[in-house]
Amino acid sequence: MSFLSEVHLDDKFGPFVAFQEALGFVPNLLRAQTLLPRVIEAQAELESAGRLQEGAISRIQKERILLIVAADRQDTYCVAAGNRVLSSLGVSDRQIDDLLNKSRCENVSAADLACLQFCLKLSRHAPSIHSEDIQALRAYGFEDKSILETVFVTALAAYRGTLSVGLGPEPDFGPRKITSRRVDPPLGVACHALLPDPHSAAQKRPYLRAPYLSSKTFSIVQKSHGFIPNFFRSQTLRPDLLEAELEAVDRILLPEDVLTRTQKECILLAVSAGNLNSYCVAMHCNLLRGLGMSAEEGDQVAVDYHLSSLSEADRALLDFAVKLGVRFSEFSGEDIVKLRTLGFTEEQILECEVVVALNNFANTLQMGLGIEPDFEPPLGQNKVHLSAVPSPPMERGLVAPSLTGVQDPDAGLVAQAQAGKLEAFEELVRRHSQLIYRALVAILGDPVEAQDAMQDALLSAFKHLAGFQSRSKFSTWLVSIARNTAFQRLRGRKEVESLDGGEYEEDREFRPRQVKAWQDNPEQFYSKSEIRQLVERGILGLPTKYRAVVMLRDIEQLSTDEVSRQLGLTVPTVKVRLLRGRLMLREWLSPHFTTSVRRATS
Amino acid sequence: MITCEEFFLEFGDYLENRTSPEVRKELELHVSQCRVCQVLYDSTCKTVKIVTESGSFDLPKSVSDSIIDRVTARLRAGPT
Repeated sequence: MSFLSEVHLDDKFGPFVAFQEALGFVPNLLRAQTLLPRVIEAQAELESAGRLQEGAISRIQKERILLIVAADRQDTYCVAAGNRVLSSLGVSDRQIDDLLNKSRCENVSAADLACLQFCLKLSRHAPSIHSEDIQALRAYGFEDKSILETVFVTALAAYRGTLSVGLGPEPDFGPRKITSRRVDPPLGVACHALLPDPHSAAQKRPYLRAPYLSSKTFSIVQKSHGFIPNFFRSQTLRPDLLEAELEAVDRILLPEDVLTRTQKECILLAVSAGNLNSYCVAMHCNLLRGLGMSAEEGDQVAVDYHLSSLSEADRALLDFAVKLGVRFSEFSGEDIVKLRTLGFTEEQILECEVVVALNNFANTLQMGLGIEPDFEPPLGQNKVHLSAVPSPPMERGLVAPSLTGVQDPDAGLVAQAQAGKLEAFEELVRRHSQLIYRALVAILGDPVEAQDAMQDALLSAFKHLAGFQSRSKFSTWLVSIARNTAFQRLRGRKEVESLDGGEYEEDREFRPRQVKAWQDNPEQFYSKSEIRQLVERGILGLPTKYRAVVMLRDIEQLSTDEVSRQLGLTVPTVKVRLLRGRLMLREWLSPHFTTSVRRATS
Repeated sequence: MITCEEFFLEFGDYLENRTSPEVRKELELHVSQCRVCQVLYDSTCKTVKIVTESGSFDLPKSVSDSIIDRVTARLRAGPT
């Protein structure tokens, strides 16, 4: 028996049949997850696509990777199973011993040893992977498809290893002795042989080419995330692996019958932060924003969830997840007992472990493929410092670090204003008066009323200045004050049109109707003031949610990420609304600028 | 070649120059061969340029100063 309860599943259960046919046995690692058959199906999809068949690299190459990573993690369960599988593929005991022995490895080619060294580096410390490592593999003859599969199998080793620690399954076979605590880097290959000419290895990301694949392929993630992350777009060389990952997302992350989506996103965020994976941290911060969590709270979960406003139980769940995902050598069955004591069910604990496994799979893939960020990191570049390994608060002294130190050009004046210096406050609001005014126009849709509301907003900002804690930029905070002021006025006239909501599908149905070509330089036929009036009328005619985004992005010229923070929306929502707003403006302007319209400059 | 529907799904990122080189190449190929999408792309780019350069909703400095002066005068006067 494993750490968690199990139920009987018939041997005809699809994934069991697949493993029986491919390996000759059904691993106890799968049987330990019978409380949630859908998560077994997810793992089976990943293993079927990436492990259980020949691909760009051979079955034996894949099993070697799984074995050596498992041995490196001191994972006796996976080593025993890997040993049996390699034997069944015709690899001799001596060859397996060689793999696990640092001193010799005569039957493995230099290219395969280089590959194993890469996998160990990726498994041990993924952030240290660079384009040079990929170039080294290419120098040994690995093509992009082989490299992608190599990274995928290493990620799969992380998935399996995480579950092996968290579930404590009964061994499928007798143990295989692991001689060293950590497997040494292979193994007769000098390190310099792996390094290419540094001048030829540009730090180019992503590391592999990714041919175009129709957006329809990504419909699952389009629905769940509201956009298609680069994480998936970067793997289009292997649609079969991609499909397995999308299925895993569908079966593990989307159902809400056990843990909520917010709990799962918090787990993904906290463990990604522990793994120093800024790509995934930015992604899950954004997804949490879409689920209603404020940007500041999401940042706080990433930096130190102990200081967040999550419930005590949810913080304990994250302690459990981070220990399993990041400090796995400290994990024991006692950690499961603690969660049970707090009221978590067996299914919830199992799902948490599977989410952590999926997270470590994703973190490994992202680092191994050098996938470029979809968003700016939380609070902008280098502004949130992720700690190397999050520890429980008692290990860090009484006061844990809070989310402070946001680099803000206004910081000096803000401190003076908070100390009571009115001139500093005056200077601050002069700096940002256009931004405040445009935010008010964006929501109120009335320039005259916006001027009136501006006075209220500034008085309100001064009144609440002491409460500003530098957890965001001062300008962001000012806009939030302006936004609240504007919504108060709208409520007063009972015309509240919320900025919230993630109506991706509804928004995507919009299609342009005007298809006449525009003139080459259409603005030359109008005076500047005519153009301005035309644009202003068009923008004021937009529904609030589109107007707000267009105003801040195209008039105020903030970045998409900045607009998302200012309006408390996710980046994908901003992008969808920006496109629609621009297209609506295009429809409005078209009759004035198409080739059939001719008029002289007035 | 990709379809118009597929082009439209990528259009927002294309305008913002956020697509990968491989995707951009496909989109450019489509635009070069599809008259309707060519018009859509051209006119939307021009829309963005016109809106960005329009100077719309500029709060005149005199108005801004007047509002801020009123506010600071009220703050200096203290609670009423």
